[in-house]
Amino acid sequence: MARSHPLLQPYKPTADDPFDVIKATHLLNRAGFGGTPQEIDRVQKMGPAAALEMLFDFPEACADEQSRTDVPDLSSIDDYPKDFRELQKLMVGKTEEERKALRQKLMAANREAVNATASWWIKRMAFGPYPLQEKLTLFWHGHFTTSAKDERQASLIWNQNELHRRMAAGNFRSYVKAISRDPAMLDYLNNSQNRKAHPNENYARELMELFTLGIGNYTEPDIKNAARAFTGWAHDGDDFIFRKFDHDNDKKTFMGQYGNFDGDDIIEIILSREACGNYIAGRFYKFFVNDELPPDLQAAMGDILRDSNYEMRPLLRTIFASKAFYQPSVIGSQIKSPIQLVVGTVRLLNLDMPRERAISGALNQMGQVPLYPPNVKGWPGGHAWINTSTLFVRYNTCVWLAGGSGQFAMMNPKGKFRGMANGPDTGFKPSTGDTAEAVVDQWVLRLIGRPIAPDAREVLINSLGGHPEREDNVRKMVQLIVSMPDYQLC
Amino acid sequence: MQKYLSTRRVFLQKGLSLLAVAPTIPTFLDQTMMALAAPLDQHRVQKPSGKDGKILVVVQLSGGNDGLSTVVPYGDDAYHRARPAIGLDKKEILKIDNYLGLHPNLAPLKKMYDSGEMSIIQGVGYPNPNRSHFRSMDIWHGGDPQKEVITSGWIGRYFDNACTGSDPHVGVSMGGNLPLAMQGDRVTPLSFDRPENYRYNGRDKENYLKLNQGPTSQPTTKPSKIATPVQKKVEPVTASGQLDFLHRTAMDAQVSSDDILRMTQQHRPAGEYPGGEFGNGLRTIAAMIGGGLSTRVYYVSLGGFDTHAGQRGRHDQLMTQLAQGISAFWADMKQQENDDRVLMMSFSEFGRRVEQNASQGTDHGAAAPMFLFGPKLHAGVLSRHPSLTDLDQGDLKYNTDFRNVYASVLQNWLETPSKPILGQQFKPMSILKA
Repeated sequence: MARSHPLLQPYKPTADDPFDVIKATHLLNRAGFGGTPQEIDRVQKMGPAAALEMLFDFPEACADEQSRTDVPDLSSIDDYPKDFRELQKLMVGKTEEERKALRQKLMAANREAVNATASWWIKRMAFGPYPLQEKLTLFWHGHFTTSAKDERQASLIWNQNELHRRMAAGNFRSYVKAISRDPAMLDYLNNSQNRKAHPNENYARELMELFTLGIGNYTEPDIKNAARAFTGWAHDGDDFIFRKFDHDNDKKTFMGQYGNFDGDDIIEIILSREACGNYIAGRFYKFFVNDELPPDLQAAMGDILRDSNYEMRPLLRTIFASKAFYQPSVIGSQIKSPIQLVVGTVRLLNLDMPRERAISGALNQMGQVPLYPPNVKGWPGGHAWINTSTLFVRYNTCVWLAGGSGQFAMMNPKGKFRGMANGPDTGFKPSTGDTAEAVVDQWVLRLIGRPIAPDAREVLINSLGGHPEREDNVRKMVQLIVSMPDYQLC
Repeated sequence: MQKYLSTRRVFLQKGLSLLAVAPTIPTFLDQTMMALAAPLDQHRVQKPSGKDGKILVVVQLSGGNDGLSTVVPYGDDAYHRARPAIGLDKKEILKIDNYLGLHPNLAPLKKMYDSGEMSIIQGVGYPNPNRSHFRSMDIWHGGDPQKEVITSGWIGRYFDNACTGSDPHVGVSMGGNLPLAMQGDRVTPLSFDRPENYRYNGRDKENYLKLNQGPTSQPTTKPSKIATPVQKKVEPVTASGQLDFLHRTAMDAQVSSDDILRMTQQHRPAGEYPGGEFGNGLRTIAAMIGGGLSTRVYYVSLGGFDTHAGQRGRHDQLMTQLAQGISAFWADMKQQENDDRVLMMSFSEFGRRVEQNASQGTDHGAAAPMFLFGPKLHAGVLSRHPSLTDLDQGDLKYNTDFRNVYASVLQNWLETPSKPILGQQFKPMSILKA
């Protein structure tokens, strides 16, 4: 029986506390990458409950299962199949030697294939059919992290990205079992080298420390014994394999239980712990709602996850519908991640996604390159996004997107710095208006979606120089809005 | 009231009179006001010929520099046996003694060595060396080979522990991304690739400044709060707390941006720096030191040392770049009369395998030499060269832990206890003149 918490009660609009444009904007910011004026208007008219129905209406399926065409396009890469599905086909029926040789050959353009995947993903976040599914995919990418660095194979990275998408709001139990067999993960955390004769504890440690329980909820001997249970879990190319001769079949003691456990048994024991549900619920809350999480609220959320046998939709729906989510102190309190900032700006300004190299150069300087999280802990987020250097890059990137000029670090396909270059003209053409007040209010509403300080509004109005009908004046004013601290928050 | 006036004066001086009425004060002013009765501008920016603060310049050689082709044990037959194709010719070596010499392209550094301004620490490494670039680099940056997840660096923790407040000027890193070594738990130093990009690019700078000064009509900071030095990074979770944090950072960025741009524009180097990021970075550092920025540690990198194939041409070129950059920098320091205040330290994440590989290159190895530069050094060759025949999986065995070098730099040069920074006490070496 789930413990209840007043903040988990659904928010119900009233005359005093209506579902206004601020709340509709908030929902589309946090459950996606921001809404256009039309989307916000639609969501506001639907009301919070119907809006959630719409946001959660995505299939538990990979992108490749959803559409044959909305997948990373690899056709411009020399000597590479046109997409990952073709690549997979090439492997079928080949001997191990032949597959190895093929993989070797593909390594030459590996970085390009990873970049094409990242670039496709960014586009899908901005324009894809299911923003919440992509937002959750991004969440999981930072949770069950794997980086493409060390020349990790692009197809492995792609398969893991698809796993995140398919499991985004699925069953956490199945998800942990699947990620523990995911070749990219087995490679990244060295479980492929975890053998009975020489156990490698890396995966077992992170499984508990970062993926399921959090520090303080297990012991060092638990790690050693969990590592033994995962011995022999390895991969051959894109496939999980169980190397039974490397597996430790002796009995193990784990969290007070004794038996011949394998990896799945370890996962079951971990999931039976109260700490696990609470930990995952806490991760959701901090990513989607707020850093400040009272313990009783966390425990109540953990109950929801356990009571649904680790189905994640009920908890996620509860969170997004809750009074906690719509607290005034929560709205506008989150520092946008670089991806949120860039994808959101492209959406809000109604732009096409600019050339990949300019975008990835900017994201790199802001500290968040998709498919390259800095370490197994993922991106720390919050204040860590902001320092004097990244703040300039964030402002300048948004100014560039809003039709200004901007210089960016250019990386070659191998990720090496190749000097600075001007970003391409994004062709931003703002709508103008009759009065300066109306133009400013309209753009502030559209881009920030919250009230700004009266003197800041005054500055924006004056910046139009009495000519709100001139496109260039409005463009300059929009560039100022995206250079405001308020715009860094959502 | 005095505090406000000081603030106003600084901003007027900087031509940012608009900021004078801002209720939000840049972080560093917040700190310095409390710490000092002296005029503020002297704290943030030292007098150009200031003789007080010591400075550390860290040079990172990324990719794993081949120590054996940098400081060459030419007198050892094992060296020539292991490197038949890529070994350096005995005749070309810049000889230090009858065993050891420098790469022929390091002539400018040999000059510094001969005049007692360069030390070579041989065989530096750590237990159970990791041969992954990333992991080993993280180990050197974090300063703890045992730690799995590293969130702060040894220099960052020096800032946290030894520098009051959270002034980001204490460290400046050349390059777009702040290296982990410089990241503190509390302090986040400045980093930028080049001064001309470290600024706001928008067209309407005047209004941009107004919008980033903090809302005057709805003060987010009570005046009384200004009298409290910022402690551990506050974590506001409300929108107004976050806005306050962003306004502060924006003002830190703006003021440092103006300073740095001015300093680099006024800088007249004593000699020519090599082209490329490394030379540009060193020249900018020299400009900031000359301009009197109150920075304690500067950081610059030279990349491209991952020479698995065709090593000779590439490595020779890198040696030239390294030597030219460092000697141009020191010529500048001498001209500025700042040389006595500066210590430079170079390192790489690992050395390379003793035996050359089949592609005329070398694979990832372990122990390697570090360099120190500066007139205050107890110069010469410190520690012995590791054996070329008693190896660990084909790699040199370390005889000096890098943390002993860090401890020396922290305690003897930066004059701060090293234990809180490195987690345990490592014995400092005598790197400075008595």
